[in-house]
Amino acid sequence: MRKRIFALLLAAAMVLGLAACASSGHNDGKKSDEKVSGESSSEGAEDMTFDELKEAAKGSTVTFYGWGGDEVLNQWLDDVFAPNMKEKYDITMERVPMDIDQVLSQLSGEIQAGEEDGSIDMIWINGENFQSAKENNMLYGPFVEKLPNFEEYIDTESEDVTLDFAYPIDGYEAPYGKAQMVMIADTAVTPDMPKNTDELLEFAKNNKGKVTYPALPDFTGSVFVRNVIYEICGYEQFLDMEADKETVKKAVEPALEYLRKLNPYLWNEGKTFPDSSTTVDNMFADGELVLNMTYDAFGTSVKIADGTYTETTQSFQFDKGTIGNTNFMAIAANSGNKAGAMVAINEMMSPEIQADRYDKMKVLPVVDYNKLSDEQKEAFDKVDLGKGNIPQDELLSKRLPEMPAQLVPVIEEIWLEEVVGK
Amino acid sequence: MKKKRFAITNMILALFVLTVVLPIAVMIVWTVTERWAWPDLVPQVLSLRALSEIFRRSEALAKLFASSIMISAAVAMASVVIGTLTARALVLYEFWGKRMMYFFTVLPFMVPATVFAMGVQISFIKLGLNNTVAGVVLSHLICSLPYAVRLMMDGTAAVGDRLEEQARVLGASMGQAFFRVTFPLLVPVILSSFSMAYIVSFSQYFLTLLIGGGQVKTFTIVMVPYLQGGDRNIACAYSVIFLGITLAVFALFEKIAGRWGKNTDTEFYT
Repeated sequence: MRKRIFALLLAAAMVLGLAACASSGHNDGKKSDEKVSGESSSEGAEDMTFDELKEAAKGSTVTFYGWGGDEVLNQWLDDVFAPNMKEKYDITMERVPMDIDQVLSQLSGEIQAGEEDGSIDMIWINGENFQSAKENNMLYGPFVEKLPNFEEYIDTESEDVTLDFAYPIDGYEAPYGKAQMVMIADTAVTPDMPKNTDELLEFAKNNKGKVTYPALPDFTGSVFVRNVIYEICGYEQFLDMEADKETVKKAVEPALEYLRKLNPYLWNEGKTFPDSSTTVDNMFADGELVLNMTYDAFGTSVKIADGTYTETTQSFQFDKGTIGNTNFMAIAANSGNKAGAMVAINEMMSPEIQADRYDKMKVLPVVDYNKLSDEQKEAFDKVDLGKGNIPQDELLSKRLPEMPAQLVPVIEEIWLEEVVGK
Repeated sequence: MKKKRFAITNMILALFVLTVVLPIAVMIVWTVTERWAWPDLVPQVLSLRALSEIFRRSEALAKLFASSIMISAAVAMASVVIGTLTARALVLYEFWGKRMMYFFTVLPFMVPATVFAMGVQISFIKLGLNNTVAGVVLSHLICSLPYAVRLMMDGTAAVGDRLEEQARVLGASMGQAFFRVTFPLLVPVILSSFSMAYIVSFSQYFLTLLIGGGQVKTFTIVMVPYLQGGDRNIACAYSVIFLGITLAVFALFEKIAGRWGKNTDTEFYT
């Protein structure tokens, strides 16, 4: 009997030992020093000046939660931004790849459980996710006015910075990058690009079964449908529309009619739609589709350079314009290191970093060109956008605002009921 | 007659090759492919982009693998120990509440992880277990234990306690009887439940993400965003590595188990 108990204890000790060495091998003690500095720096971050924030954040770790499916961006955050933060401010950046739904569910779990030294510091967010997070008091703020780069380099009055899907930001988010919907086609396959919805219908008829869009609520599919609605119904009426299903349905009916007319010529005759924009991307690259669409306005040149797209691939817009939005950085309400997060967000808005993002990833910059010095302007001017892109001034001149965030899910619901398979 | 059976086995084998080996082969080709558009049989544009990016991060990935394997091995080890004990209790002993106990052990089979994950997360935060490796191991146990217990129950029922009693009659202590008689007989089942628990833990995404808070990084946590991101060559490169490491780990298990169980005569428990 005694031997058996001994054996059990031994087995238990082995298991615990394994777990312990897994844990010590993994954490590298990061967590502990993050806690220490986190506590000291989150105390009264509201009352500190930016210099005091910088001082408080020294030696701490900032976690940055956001979508992690873009290798180029991941690499840039790890190899350019993180070393830069370490060198300039002695802040360690830790990138955590996670979809926004999961970030918010983790955050709400932590807040419900009363965790005050939360694990999430910075969050990459926008649109309805921002609205619901802010309304549920899951975000820290207002904080952007404190950041010198925000005041100095960003057009604080522009709607790209004050509104997120028509929802007032009130200083709870700082701009990270701009996006704009563009469509993509290969000029060697389809020389004529549709300039409006009528031409798009013709285009679909001529390429029967080779045109489609991602099923809503995919981000890109959703913006495509909103863009069609803008084309047909105009966009002004939506900017202050109530999120009432009947009202919205009545307003978008002509667009729904159009989408139903489009269905028979689409891939799989519009009975089903690809599940996500990434699937559509791949189908386009494989030649299964002749039309692609993306929020990543200048991404085409990157894909041509990689060889994913052919040299003759070209992005284009409707004549009346396409929807653009801004994506933002926010701070979790229970972040353990608000000071560090603010320093990092401030750095992300600096002209040098924004110019580097523009150069390496072709992300539309958020800084106001007119507020820059000549030297800084040059850094942006010399960026070669590569092949297949719409010139930036043309792109931005045809930029339409997003609809109010709360209309987006309503439209997605209506689309599901009234368009799919009809 | 014999020939016909041979043909059927061959067909099944061919089907297996088609459904398992072919996709893996395509996956391997995709690790160096940028564009492979219809209708060409071979990729049009090849590049080493994905592989070079992976090699660039090889140090970080090696660390990641070490910690992933550690976590999963700890989960599997704990599952086997708990599974063996639970199975013995449920199969060999009578006690009050036994059926209820049995029901509880398989409950996580019936309730999907997404349903209880949120509750687990909140409890773990209160206990201070969130964002820790111990918390992740515990949460994986919830998913792996039902498999381990089920498998160990079948094994324990097949082996029974007759031989152990025999050993006791011949003067062995309880520990000796278990470790020298029953344990070697159980090795094949232990190996199955260890592997099962390991796999369940190694491929666990949702719970690891939620309990680990993204700070406990396993290979799955890093790989899944690429699968969702649709960058096929990088996703394929990660998948090939995932597959390779898993196969290597399993080969190692087999080897270890082979040494442990070499005096096993399986006729006892078939």
